[in-house]
Amino acid sequence: MRLKINFSISLKITFMVIIVSFISICSIAIINLPSIEQDEYILEAQYDKAAALIHDINVSVGSYDQIKNFSRLTQIIYDFNSWNENILKTTINLVNDDDKLTVFASSDKNLTNKSSQQYTRNGVEYNTICYMGNHTYYIPYIEEKPPILVILSPINRSGTTIGTYEITISLEKAQQYLTKTSDEKVKNIVLLSTIILFVLIFSFLFLLRKVIVKPITTFRDTAKIIGKGKLDTKVDISSRDELGELADAFNQMAKDLKESRDKIQDYTQILENLLDRKDEFIGQLGHDLKNPLQPLIGLLPVLIEKEKDPETKEALQIMNKNAEYMRDLIFETLQLAKLRSADVKFDFEDVKLREEAEGCVDSQKLLLKEHKITVDNKIADNITVYADKLRLVEVFKNLISNAVKYMQEGGGKITLDAKQEVDIVTVSIQDTGIGMTQEQLKKMFDEFYKADRFSSEYQSTGLGLAICKRIIEKHDGKIWVDSPGLGKGTTFYFTLKNKTKNN
Amino acid sequence: MVKKIMVVDDDPGVIFTVKHGLENLDKDYKITTVNSGRKCLELLESGEKPDLILLDIMMPDMSGWETYEKIREKISNKKLPIVFLTARTDRIAKNAGGFLAEDYIEKPFKVPELKERLDKILKK
Repeated sequence: MRLKINFSISLKITFMVIIVSFISICSIAIINLPSIEQDEYILEAQYDKAAALIHDINVSVGSYDQIKNFSRLTQIIYDFNSWNENILKTTINLVNDDDKLTVFASSDKNLTNKSSQQYTRNGVEYNTICYMGNHTYYIPYIEEKPPILVILSPINRSGTTIGTYEITISLEKAQQYLTKTSDEKVKNIVLLSTIILFVLIFSFLFLLRKVIVKPITTFRDTAKIIGKGKLDTKVDISSRDELGELADAFNQMAKDLKESRDKIQDYTQILENLLDRKDEFIGQLGHDLKNPLQPLIGLLPVLIEKEKDPETKEALQIMNKNAEYMRDLIFETLQLAKLRSADVKFDFEDVKLREEAEGCVDSQKLLLKEHKITVDNKIADNITVYADKLRLVEVFKNLISNAVKYMQEGGGKITLDAKQEVDIVTVSIQDTGIGMTQEQLKKMFDEFYKADRFSSEYQSTGLGLAICKRIIEKHDGKIWVDSPGLGKGTTFYFTLKNKTKNN
Repeated sequence: MVKKIMVVDDDPGVIFTVKHGLENLDKDYKITTVNSGRKCLELLESGEKPDLILLDIMMPDMSGWETYEKIREKISNKKLPIVFLTARTDRIAKNAGGFLAEDYIEKPFKVPELKERLDKILKK
């Protein structure tokens, strides 16, 4: 089963706006996340810081003579190291007598008087005095973990380079700080965007409500009123946009509808009057058609009985047969007309199906015997249907006499049966007669249709099945016919409702 | 035994059929005919005493229903059988047959069948 949920337009658009905004915020956040360039950024910052530090320490160290004072220098380095928390190690390397750089003073005491560390970057060795010149060298990322930056700067006194400053800076804190800042930045962006988003959504909804939803609601309410029949109601929207045009078209439609309805009402009134007169007319017609037939129908049997001359007797018999046919035609036409009228009344009650079918068979005993036809009533005793008894009997009579009509010479068999389902009963009347072609089956229930137009001219009116169809339809049932083909018999089926308590 | 029947119908064809047919089939039947309810009442008031009345329903001036009511009102013989003749096949006519009158016969009818029905009613 498909679940169907109704969303209002504002809800749909709000969803759309939220989704679009969400995607935008995500994109902005992703763009602003710490990128690969972060390392470079940290280094740039640390270079500047290092340059300032080296300047400071160079001033503190003082003149060439002051450099030689080891304890003083060590104190300076310790102080310097403890003031700058990011500096892991501060070392002063001096050129010794062999022209080699050795550690003169270091915050790491273990290094004192050892030869200075060699650093290699891009295949070039640093910290060798001859390469130092007057420049400061930055050697980043000597170690990956923890990330550190080593900075080397020459110590120049009286025009010569006498050693190097070697400062090892931890990048860990800087990196952490940076990550933290960028996290916060993202958070801020998201928060800000969310606030902007909500402001946008609410102002958008406000606008939407004013510009679109309200006019649509007006349309809806007006349409409801119009639907109830008040066709002169108008939509009051005068805005000069598509909605205004729609309102004009809508009002025009209501106007046209009103005109059409008024016309239909006029015609209906005329039709109703005609229908009323038709019922009257049918009753009158019945009376007027039946009375003239009375002497023929009434007296011909008397005359036939009394008549001795065989030729006159035969003539009278033919007249009688024709008169009877005419009577049947009038009866059935009137009946069909009556069934067609809307106010025809049916008296529904619980009817025992087998009993009624049996009664019909009994009433046609003579006819069946005359045609050498046996009837097998297989309808179960316990089936009760909700039907108009008299009219149900009519259906059975018509279908049985129809079966008799199309039976082959030499007799045959009619089988009555009924199948009970949950709330309907399907009745079947099967014969071993001449059967029918597909073409004939289609027209079977048409009024005045005769399967064999010539030979049965004065035997049937061609209205019996049309009457059956109307009766069954008034029972909310269906009637249909099936035949395997010519010479193979025919089966009529119709459905009825089960007895009342099951309905 | 003479069976006196009064036929009330505005249609001469019906009157002729009943009179001619019944008298032909059975010599005991004596048929009186009138062509309106008013005349029927007049005849009954003047002392005519039929064994059975055949009464048409659809008549101009005074309908079969009206005539029936008046006969029941005015004539002392409450057991006088009255049989309706009707060209209407609808249920109103059938109910009328069941509740108001002794029987009803649908037009057009065969005289031998009519005789059979009348014989049955008269036997009671």
